[in-house]
Amino acid sequence: MKGHTLFNWIFTILASLVLLFIIAPLAGMFFDSSFSEVRTTAADPAVRRSVWFTLAIAFASTLFFAVGAVPLAWIMARKKFPLKRVVQGIIDLPVVLPHTAAGIALLGFISREGALGGAAQKAGILLVNNGAGIALAMAFVSLPFLINAARDGFAAVSERTEKAALTLGASQTRIFFTVSLPQAWRSVVSGFIMMFARGMSEFGAVVIIAYHPMIAPVLIYDRFNTYGISAARPASIIFILVALLFFVLFRVLATERRVLFKREDDASD
Amino acid sequence: MLRTEKLSKRIDTFSLRDISIEVGKGDYYVLLGRSGAGKTQLLELICGLMNPDRGRIYLEGEDITYKRVQDRGIGMVFQDLSLFPHYSVKDNIMYPLRVRKMDLKERVDRVQRAAAGMNITDLLLRRPDTLSGGEKQRVALARTLVTDPKILLLDEPMASVDASLKDNIRRLLRRLNRNGQTIIHVTHDFGEAISLASRVGVIHNGRIIQEGTPLDVFNHPVNRFVARYAGIKNFFRVTFITSYKSASAISEKRTRFRLPRGEYPSSGLLIIGSSEVLLSRQGASGFGINNIRGVIDDIVPSPTGFEITVNAGDYFYADITHREMEESRFVTGEKVYVSFRPESLRIVGNGEDIKEY
Repeated sequence: MKGHTLFNWIFTILASLVLLFIIAPLAGMFFDSSFSEVRTTAADPAVRRSVWFTLAIAFASTLFFAVGAVPLAWIMARKKFPLKRVVQGIIDLPVVLPHTAAGIALLGFISREGALGGAAQKAGILLVNNGAGIALAMAFVSLPFLINAARDGFAAVSERTEKAALTLGASQTRIFFTVSLPQAWRSVVSGFIMMFARGMSEFGAVVIIAYHPMIAPVLIYDRFNTYGISAARPASIIFILVALLFFVLFRVLATERRVLFKREDDASD
Repeated sequence: MLRTEKLSKRIDTFSLRDISIEVGKGDYYVLLGRSGAGKTQLLELICGLMNPDRGRIYLEGEDITYKRVQDRGIGMVFQDLSLFPHYSVKDNIMYPLRVRKMDLKERVDRVQRAAAGMNITDLLLRRPDTLSGGEKQRVALARTLVTDPKILLLDEPMASVDASLKDNIRRLLRRLNRNGQTIIHVTHDFGEAISLASRVGVIHNGRIIQEGTPLDVFNHPVNRFVARYAGIKNFFRVTFITSYKSASAISEKRTRFRLPRGEYPSSGLLIIGSSEVLLSRQGASGFGINNIRGVIDDIVPSPTGFEITVNAGDYFYADITHREMEESRFVTGEKVYVSFRPESLRIVGNGEDIKEY
């Protein structure tokens, strides 16, 4: 930092304290656990199952809801309509709700007596106490991250490039997939990653919907309640490491847009 | 070829009103107006990005007022060019061909031809953000021209081009037009209109206020706004005095102008081009010539020499070349004569004027 003024010093110290506050508990947890403890826990089938289950459900939930969330984000970025601010408020609502309260609300909706739960049961699907219900709980609390990031991405795309594509003969659908989405791609993927990350770390809403099958945050809580902190710690470390690994992996993938947006003519011309 | 009939559109607080223009096949029609005049909105109506509130648009006799943008066969190059930043130059140009599901060989052929025509073959693999303004302009033109548009709409095509490259683009556009491309070109620059247009429409506050050949508009501006647009700075609000053997006019600042004999309204606006005003220390000789005495107020370099402002009660603007300046060595504060022939004076419109400028 240039010019070691008092201002710079104070800001650096304050910033460092906040960073330390984030790093210290995590680092402490790593130092307090022995490698053998972590290795033993990693070999525990219940832990493995739980971690993979959490990742898979969070990913599936994000992917499933992205189908609707991305168009909603585009509408929020491009269209003017009455009560748009109210709609934006509704989108942001899950962020400010206590997650257990969100879980209770969702439970009413997806239980056998609820509107969605009743309909699903008629189709032979039980939403409470299974993966589908957990996915819904994860999505409920994490959707705003995807919608808002994607909305900002679409808003940043020059509307004129979309208009130019219209004058060049492209349909609206084609424009969305070839002009709007590729330009907003980074923001959409970033939102996707945030939703995925937020979803897999969700505890409050999920625990109301389904204690079993156990997602990793519930398993950690269960170990803590049953055996104490020393049993919960290695499971936490494993989950954090796996989550970080996927987080980094997605980030790397997201920066290489062509992996997912390969043009139809790349191979031929 | 293209005819608009009383097109009107309200956009927030601005409105386009009763726009009726006719552009023939092979015409180079320049729509001249300052920013906010409604030029871009008119282009968007013509190409179908907006629907009018009233009026019709006909293209080759067909009513296309509510036809889809994609089906109109009208190409548009936007002011900011709107190249797709995530595609290479080649993919930008190929975009409309892919949309038309053309087979690969023909697509590649067409892209190559369009690129060669615009002299951008060596840029095909580049990304738009690595191109200069002039290069981007050519890419945007190529991307639109591969669709063989019936009419090419250009929104301020010189806006993003360096002054030194404007001639290149002008030549390119002239060549396109010579090859039969009908063009509607929007600009705020009268010089652009003069150098390119076969017809000019002057648009102001959402209305077309004058239409004609560039020379018509330059020589017979309908009001002060158009005259100023045509680069004329010498305006004089005058009262005309006519008798059976002479005609003259007196300005509000009491400057007296000798005029050719003829019929005049009681009052109106007189204009004279800066290049038709001569400056000298002793006054010009010649039958009936106007010699008006004044003081040099300002000398400003211009692309061709200098523009000298003379305060003679009224302000006169005269363009003189570098060579003339070297010979005469005028300085500010010096007393000079402003001279011009009566025939150089023109009356704007029929004496009426729009006062808001």
